[in-house]
Amino acid sequence: MSTNLGAEIIKTVGVTKRFGELVAVNKVDYLLHENEVAGIIGANGSGKTTFFNLVTGYFPPDEGTVYYKGEDITGTPPEQRVAMGMMRTFQLTSTFDNLAVIDNLVLSYFRAYQKHSLFHLFTNTCKKHRKNEKIQAIVETFELQDVADREVRHLGLGEKRRLEIAMAILAEPKVLLLDEPLAGLAENEIKAVLSVLRRHIGTQTILIVEHKISHVEDFLQRLTVMHEGRVIADGGYEECLRDPEVRRSYWQIDVSEDGVEEACS
Amino acid sequence: MNTFRWWRGILLAFFLLAIIRVFLPLPFSNEIIIFSIYVMGCSFLLGRVGFISFGQPAYLATGAYATAFYLFYFGANPFIGILIGVVAGLVMSLIVGPLFVRLRSDYFALVNLALAVIFYYTMQKVLAPITQGDNGLWFLANMTSTPIIDITRPKEFFTFAFLAALAIWALFKYLNDTLYGACALASKVNEDKVQFLGYSNFKIRFFGFIVANVTTAFAGSLYAIYLGFVSPEITSAHRCADPVVVTILGGVGTLYGPLVGAIAFTGMKDLIAGLIGNWELFIGFLLVFIMLAGEKGIWGSLEPQLKKVFSGKRV
Repeated sequence: MSTNLGAEIIKTVGVTKRFGELVAVNKVDYLLHENEVAGIIGANGSGKTTFFNLVTGYFPPDEGTVYYKGEDITGTPPEQRVAMGMMRTFQLTSTFDNLAVIDNLVLSYFRAYQKHSLFHLFTNTCKKHRKNEKIQAIVETFELQDVADREVRHLGLGEKRRLEIAMAILAEPKVLLLDEPLAGLAENEIKAVLSVLRRHIGTQTILIVEHKISHVEDFLQRLTVMHEGRVIADGGYEECLRDPEVRRSYWQIDVSEDGVEEACS
Repeated sequence: MNTFRWWRGILLAFFLLAIIRVFLPLPFSNEIIIFSIYVMGCSFLLGRVGFISFGQPAYLATGAYATAFYLFYFGANPFIGILIGVVAGLVMSLIVGPLFVRLRSDYFALVNLALAVIFYYTMQKVLAPITQGDNGLWFLANMTSTPIIDITRPKEFFTFAFLAALAIWALFKYLNDTLYGACALASKVNEDKVQFLGYSNFKIRFFGFIVANVTTAFAGSLYAIYLGFVSPEITSAHRCADPVVVTILGGVGTLYGPLVGAIAFTGMKDLIAGLIGNWELFIGFLLVFIMLAGEKGIWGSLEPQLKKVFSGKRV
């Protein structure tokens, strides 16, 4: 775990979410500090994405409270959370397929840096902002130059995912919440995305939900492991993986060093 | 140069309408121009905001009746009548909009239909002492001539409606280019992402609803002035699908669609009806064909071909 922790930025106290009989997230207490780079892992169905949705306001928890910088945001709608500085991506890549790549970025840029009331949306054309330096820089960073003018629906999955992360990073949120950002990406694309994210370490809080931890092991400062809706381990990367409960319930293996290697690879 | 290119599209579209005016009788041209304004509202709602509405006649009637009430009971200036019609459309949108735009698209279609039916019976039965029920309000003789452009005369009415349609068309073209236009398209395909990017779906849709239905009410006012009378027939249930049909006929989400659709629809109604009687049957078959052939509509199918022809010529 990082030694000089910043102030609390996101805190959940006893958040619970039920879907019928199933308790998807069960009384989870979680604390994220400013400028921390943290990850949540867990098997499919462990509740990590549900927990992520509770934090970002996709749906409200049945019980418990979510705080942002000490303020109770449990009932705050997503667009207000974005205004407060939280920005998320989705597990299934989520972009605007009927708009050009560049206009997807313009929408993200405009919300983050310009007055974005209806009046301003009405008085500004997309074209006016397409050549903006920040947008052009992010296009280059994510190597989207060749597809910038193309409609998103003609893009491949890798390009779409890069676009979605680019949209999030462009807005320079205080907290960047990424839901399985690397799924479906090729090895070189994963490296590219992580190298961009690395530049934001120290200035941004980053929370990543991942299924495969091998990708992010040397990137994360802190790891949280979820299993059946509960947090079963929280701390440094190595520390978590040595935790007997993690090994038993997550990888279903006996305590042996080889097991960890296998699971990670 | 860019400005010229921007306007070229508009001029081209209206050149088409001007030609119609030369070759076809005046009532026909007037009907097309009003109908195209009516459809522009519906097309914007469907193509941009992503809401299909089977109740557009409710907003058309709002404008028409507001204009009619004024000209029948209170005043004589048709321009003030139009203004009142537009304001009534705005008020109606502000009242029902916040409730309706929260609905899913399919419920939105039906709740508007319900509104049109409510409007029909209110005008026909409930308010019959004021609206004169099925007989309607006749006020053609009440209207006084207006200076500069006298819209009580069909010829000058055409000029006025033509310019109004041009202005509305330009407004929609501008809206499509704005960030609002992009937000509306975005909200149409991915409302979650819109929210998590920090925009409000509600505001985007509500604004689109207002713009579309004020346009529709304006068309209703024009109908009232042009015909000089309004009856509940304007919002009857069997006319409810018309604007949607014409939007699809012309091509959903295309700017020229409403014009092309209005010409085709009115043309079939007035011309084919004289030849083969059951024109609605003909339109029915045409619609099935258009939707099976890729839902592009007349303009949607023509546009790529025209582009090929024109770009070929330039090279």
